[in-house]
Amino acid sequence: MRVGEESALEALYARYGGLVYTLALRIVGDAELAREVLQDTFLSSWHGREAYDPGRGRLPWWLMGIARNRAIDLLRSRPHRARLREQDHLGRGIPESASPDTEEVLVARRAVTGALARLSTPQREVIELAYYAGLTQAEIARELAQPLGTVKSRTRQAMDQLRQALRSLMDQEKGRSQHGD
Amino acid sequence: MTEAHERIVEDLAAYVLGSLEAEERLRVEAHLATCLTCAGLVAEYRGVMGLLPAGLEPVAPPGTAWQTIQAAAQNRRPRRTISLTVLSQWLRIARWPAAAAVGALLIVWNVMLQRELTRRAPGPALGPEVEALSRRPGRIVILHGTGKPGASARIFVAVDGGGHLAVSGLDLLPRERTYQLWFVRSQAPPVTAATFAVDASGRAWAKVTTPGSLDDVHAIFVTDELSGSAAPSGRPLLEAQPWR
Repeated sequence: MRVGEESALEALYARYGGLVYTLALRIVGDAELAREVLQDTFLSSWHGREAYDPGRGRLPWWLMGIARNRAIDLLRSRPHRARLREQDHLGRGIPESASPDTEEVLVARRAVTGALARLSTPQREVIELAYYAGLTQAEIARELAQPLGTVKSRTRQAMDQLRQALRSLMDQEKGRSQHGD
Repeated sequence: MTEAHERIVEDLAAYVLGSLEAEERLRVEAHLATCLTCAGLVAEYRGVMGLLPAGLEPVAPPGTAWQTIQAAAQNRRPRRTISLTVLSQWLRIARWPAAAAVGALLIVWNVMLQRELTRRAPGPALGPEVEALSRRPGRIVILHGTGKPGASARIFVAVDGGGHLAVSGLDLLPRERTYQLWFVRSQAPPVTAATFAVDASGRAWAKVTTPGSLDDVHAIFVTDELSGSAAPSGRPLLEAQPWR
């Protein structure tokens, strides 16, 4: 993405807007708040694009990191919790599924869902609580009534298994990024 | 490998997930600045993290979201036009020194934030907000008591927006008056970034609405105003040193 080119922002949105919105919705559980996260993410990436360091990972990973931080900040804010409590009575407004995916997206989804499915239930649980709920290891230990050491071991084992299972997909992604994002 | 190294390795996955407590995170970051093996493992875990959203059933974003983003982006056109490609080429050459420097900066950032947290006035728990802020790299702007000797303040600004202000040494104000933090850009009126009161010990901790990048801002100061002033009327009590 070149600095100052709005067409680059548009291309970025066209390619990753759906994924950012999907992630935000999964974390905050509310369509309006997910939209807020989506907008904040792209504006933050636009304003803070000079902070993007290719050495730390691909552009979409950076973007997902911003989206996740934003969504978790919102998830933990008091007004958001109050809003969700209110919506529990009204029913949540979850939008419809997106249009059909490309082959590339389908391959990635199959690989990730397959890798997650191969984790044990306790391993999957710690990853979901850390990644989507933004809980610390200590909070997860309290939530699951497990020793902290057990939670840390499960987290590491789960991430190691995912790393092995997704290695070829990560290599493909790296290859793609070397040919330009 | 030492036992201490093994303990760090055990925490790397949780570190990448942003799931460690502040003290553990600092320990990991200090280690990463010197251990290439662990830095490599962290990079791989980041790859896993980046792929996790791809496993979700996709949902289409609202149709008007792009127009909103585009309009907001056009309102804040960038000043500089350097290319990220140039930046990435430079980083490829200086990757490890840059990684070490970034690591060191993160450590300094976190240590300063933790120090400020221990110094802040008693009040309601800030946990999640501060926790979230300290996870992200950012800038610290220092304000000195030019109009109020002995007073000082720090503004913590995360790179992706949002910030907090920690103040000490100001006087308790009468009920109808308030302190205001101002950001001034070239050829634009000052804007209020925070309004706050101090406690009996002269301290305050306030959320700051940062006006995008600090690069465009040429003055940051705090004044004492009659509640909620639209423009600064008093003399600056606290002023920022150069922060670039």
